[in-house]
Amino acid sequence: MKNGKKSFILIEVILAALVIVLSFVMVRGRSGKDFDKISVIIENSDDNQWSALKYGIKMAAKDQGVEVFFSSTAGDFTAGKLKNTIENELNNGADAIIVQPVSAPGIEKLLKKMEKKIPIMLVENNVEENKDSCVFSVTQADNYAMGIALAEELLKDYSGNIEGKTLGIISKSEHSEAARNRELGFKDGIKRTGARVGWSVSDFSGKEKENFLANQSKVNIVIALDDDSLTTAGEYAASNNFHGAFVYGIGNSTEAIHYLDIGILECLLVPDEFSVGYQSLTEISKRLKCYFYKMQSKMVSYDIIRREELFSKENQEILFTMSQ
Amino acid sequence: MKNKYFRRLKRLKPRGIQSTIMLAFSVISFSIMLILGTVMYIRFSALSRQEIIQSTQKLMEQTGDNLEDYLLSMRRISDAVYYNVVKENDFSSQNKDIQKGMNLLYEANRDNLRSIAIYNSYGSLIAAEPVALQKEDPDVTRQEWYKGAMNKMENMYFSTPHIQNLFYDGTYRYYWVISLSRVVEITDNRESKTGVLLVDMDYSGISRMLNQINTLNNGQYYYLCDSNGKIIYHLRQMQISDGIFSENSEVAAKYKDGVYDETFDGERRKVIVNTISYTGWKLVGVIPYSTFTDGMINMRYFIAMIMLLMAMMLVFINRVVSVRISRPILKLNDSVMEYEAGEKPEIYIGGFLEIRHLGYSIQRSYEQIDTLMKKIVLEQNERRKSELDALQSQINPHFLYNALDSITWMVEGERNDDAVFMISQLAKLFRISLSKGRTVITIKDELQHAESYMNIQKVRYKNAFSIIFDVESSIYSYCTVKLILQPILENAINYGVSSMDDCGEIKVIGREEDGIVTLSVEDNGIGMSEEEVSFLLTDSNRVPKHGSGIGLVNVNNRIQILFGKEYGISVKSEPDEGTTVSIRIPAVPYTEDNRKSLEKGYIFWQERKER
Repeated sequence: MKNGKKSFILIEVILAALVIVLSFVMVRGRSGKDFDKISVIIENSDDNQWSALKYGIKMAAKDQGVEVFFSSTAGDFTAGKLKNTIENELNNGADAIIVQPVSAPGIEKLLKKMEKKIPIMLVENNVEENKDSCVFSVTQADNYAMGIALAEELLKDYSGNIEGKTLGIISKSEHSEAARNRELGFKDGIKRTGARVGWSVSDFSGKEKENFLANQSKVNIVIALDDDSLTTAGEYAASNNFHGAFVYGIGNSTEAIHYLDIGILECLLVPDEFSVGYQSLTEISKRLKCYFYKMQSKMVSYDIIRREELFSKENQEILFTMSQ
Repeated sequence: MKNKYFRRLKRLKPRGIQSTIMLAFSVISFSIMLILGTVMYIRFSALSRQEIIQSTQKLMEQTGDNLEDYLLSMRRISDAVYYNVVKENDFSSQNKDIQKGMNLLYEANRDNLRSIAIYNSYGSLIAAEPVALQKEDPDVTRQEWYKGAMNKMENMYFSTPHIQNLFYDGTYRYYWVISLSRVVEITDNRESKTGVLLVDMDYSGISRMLNQINTLNNGQYYYLCDSNGKIIYHLRQMQISDGIFSENSEVAAKYKDGVYDETFDGERRKVIVNTISYTGWKLVGVIPYSTFTDGMINMRYFIAMIMLLMAMMLVFINRVVSVRISRPILKLNDSVMEYEAGEKPEIYIGGFLEIRHLGYSIQRSYEQIDTLMKKIVLEQNERRKSELDALQSQINPHFLYNALDSITWMVEGERNDDAVFMISQLAKLFRISLSKGRTVITIKDELQHAESYMNIQKVRYKNAFSIIFDVESSIYSYCTVKLILQPILENAINYGVSSMDDCGEIKVIGREEDGIVTLSVEDNGIGMSEEEVSFLLTDSNRVPKHGSGIGLVNVNNRIQILFGKEYGISVKSEPDEGTTVSIRIPAVPYTEDNRKSLEKGYIFWQERKER
C-alpha cells in the first residue's frame, strides 16, 4: 500500500517535471532564438572594392543563420581607430568579429586581448607575429602567388623578355603583410629577367596621390599591387597617360574593371573576395555554434582577367559580385 | 528459452490487486492515449504539409503572375518602340522624333529599364535611350541577345541575366540586365532594312520580386530558371557558381507545372513548378521535407504537452479508481491476515455488496471454526482425561495390595502402632488421590500425597532409604496436577535406591522463580545412561520392570494438557551418580476459577489469563 503510494507520487512528480521542462522549451521556442551577431570591420567600409566581400559575408550569414553588421569606417585605419571600433562593436553586443587588421605596432597585442573575449577572424591581411604563433585564423588570397602570377602575365605579354624595361611599383602600404607578400612574389617573378624597378611608392593618401605619381620618373611598366593603388594608377593613366607606361595590377573594384574595360589596364588580377567573405563568416559562425570548434585559416583563389575576356561567363559572375 | 521469459514475466507480475488494477488501467489508458496522439499528429502533419504546399502554390502563382505582368510590360514597351516609333519614322530624316519617342517610353518605365537601343544588321548603334557613350567596340553581333534575336526572327528573345556591355555612363558601374531583343524592320532613307531592337530590363526588378518571397528561414526557397535549366535567379546564385551549393534546375526545367517529389543531394524535397508564359521560364519552389518537420515542432510539443497532462490526470484517476475498488478487499485481506497471525480482530465488513458478503461469510466461518476448535479441544481433553483417569486408577490395586500386605504382616507381628500409622497414611493417600474427582490440587496436597506414599514405601522397604522434603512454603498454595510426584518417587525407589543398602537418599525440592514452580526429585541411586534418559520421555510403550507402570511420559502429558507445551518434565542422570527429575509448572495460585479453567485444558486457561 505504502509502496503503491510512493510509486504514484514518484510518477506524478516525474510527469510534472516533464511538463515543466516541456513548457520551458515551448516558451523558449516561442520567444525565438536570438541570432548570433557578427561585426565586420574593414578599412574604409563604404569603398566599392568591398562589394564582393560584403556580398559573400551576407550570403554566408543567410546560410548560417547569423546577423551581420558592417561597422562604418572611413579613411585609413590606425591602431587606435581599430581598437575603438572593436570596443564599440563589443559594446553593441557583437558575438564575434571579422576584422581586417592594420599594420601597426601593438595591433597583435590588442587583437589577442580581444580574442579572449570573443572569436576573431582576420581577413585580407595577417598580422606579422601571427605567422608563426597562428593565434588567429586568417582568410585571404594567396598574395605571394598573386605577385608571381602578375609577373608571369607581364612576361607573357613581352614573350618572356623584359630585359632593360623599367618598372614602377605602387603599393598602398609597404608595412602590411599582404602588400609585402605581393611585392615579394612579383619581384621573385621578375628575378633574372633583366628588368629594373625604377621606383616603388607606397603609403600615399588623399589628394597627394596624383602629385605622388606625377613626381615619379618615367617607366615602361607600372605595377599596382592593391585596389587603391590600381584605381589611383588607372585614374592617373586615364588623364596623363603615364608617359605611355603599361599598367598591370591587382584589384577588386568595378573601377579597376572599368580601367581594364577601357584599355588603360593591360591585365587585372582579381582576388576572390566573395569567397573571402563567405568563408570567413562560415568559419566564425561554426566557431560560435560550437565552442570547441577550431577555426581554420583559408586561402582563396584569384582570377586573371584580360580585356578581351572581360565579359566571359565566369568573369560576368565576378562582376556580378562586385556590382552588389 | 521461452520458459525463461515466462519466469521473468512472472517475476514482473504485480502481486497486489491495487497494483494490478492500476497497471491494467494505465496500460489501457496510455495505449489509447498514444494511439490518439499518434493519429492526431499524423493527421495534423498531413494537413499542415498540405497547407504549406497549397500556400506555396498560391504564392508561386501570384509571383508568376507578377513576373508575367512585368515581362508583358517589357514586351509592350518593345512593341510600342517598334510599332509607334521605329515603324512610323524614317531614320535618315526623323531621327529626332525617333529619339523623342524612345525617350518618352524610357522615362515612363525607367524604374524597370536599363536602356533601349536599336542596332542595324551590322551591329552598329542607330539609336539609344538614355543617350550614353557607346563602348569602343562592343561587337554586339557576338552578344547573346543579338544572336538570339537573329535566330528567332518572328519572335521576341529573352536572354538570361548578363552584364550589359554596351555603354559607359561614367559611374564605373556594370549593370546586370535581362535583354529583350527582336528583329525589327527599320526605314532608312525610305529603304527598308532589318535591325535589332533591344530593351534591357533591370535585373533588380525580377530579383526584387523573388527576394520578397525568399524571406523564409525554414529552408524553403524559390528560384527561376529558363527552359534549359539555366539559373536566372537563385538565392544562392554565387554559391552555385562556386560549387558550394548545387541545384537540380536542369531536371526541374523539364517538369510540367505541378508538385513533384524528388531526392537531391541526399535530401528529400517537394518541388513545385510553375511555368512563366511566353518565356518558358520556370518558377520553382523547393520545400525540403525538413521544413515540414521543423514546422511541426510546435505541434509536437503541443501534443506532447497534452499527452503529459493527460497522463498525469490518468495516473491520478487510475489511482483513485484502483484504491476505491481495492481498499475494501485489502482491508478484508488485512483482517484475515491478522487473524491468521493469531490475533483476533474483527473481520472487515464494508465496501461493495459482494465484498461485504464475503466479509460476513469469512467472519461466520471463523466463528464456526473457533467454536468447532474449542469443541474439539474440549472433547480431546475429555478423552485424554478419561484415559489418564484410567491410568491413575491402575496404581491403586497394585499399591493397595502391597500396603495391605504390609499391614497384615504388622498386625500379625503385633506391631499395632506401625499398623495404625500405615493405615492412617493410606487413608491420607486415598483422600488426596480421590480429591473429590478433581485433577488440579494444591502443591501442599500433592506433597502430602507424596509424603504419605513415601511413608508407606519406607515401611515396605524397611527404611532402606531416607526421604527429605526441601520445599519453600510459599509454593504450597499454587496449583498442580495431582499425582505427579508419586510416579516419579516410585521410579526413584524402584530404579534408584531400592537396591542400595541403607544409604539410598531421595530428596524432594520445591522452588519458585520468575513465575515458574520447579518440583525436583533427586536420588543418589544407580543413575542412567543418556540413551535411557532419552527413552524416558519419548517411549510410552516400554514395559516397566517394576512399579505401577505409569511412566514419566504420562506425567509429562498430563502436565502439558493442563499447562501447555512449554511445561513438563526434564530428566538429568549420571550412571552411579543419581537421577534428578524436575517438574516445571506455572505458578498459578489455587482458586476455584483457576482450577476449573486449568482442568478444561491449557487453551481455556490461557484464554482466561488473557481476559
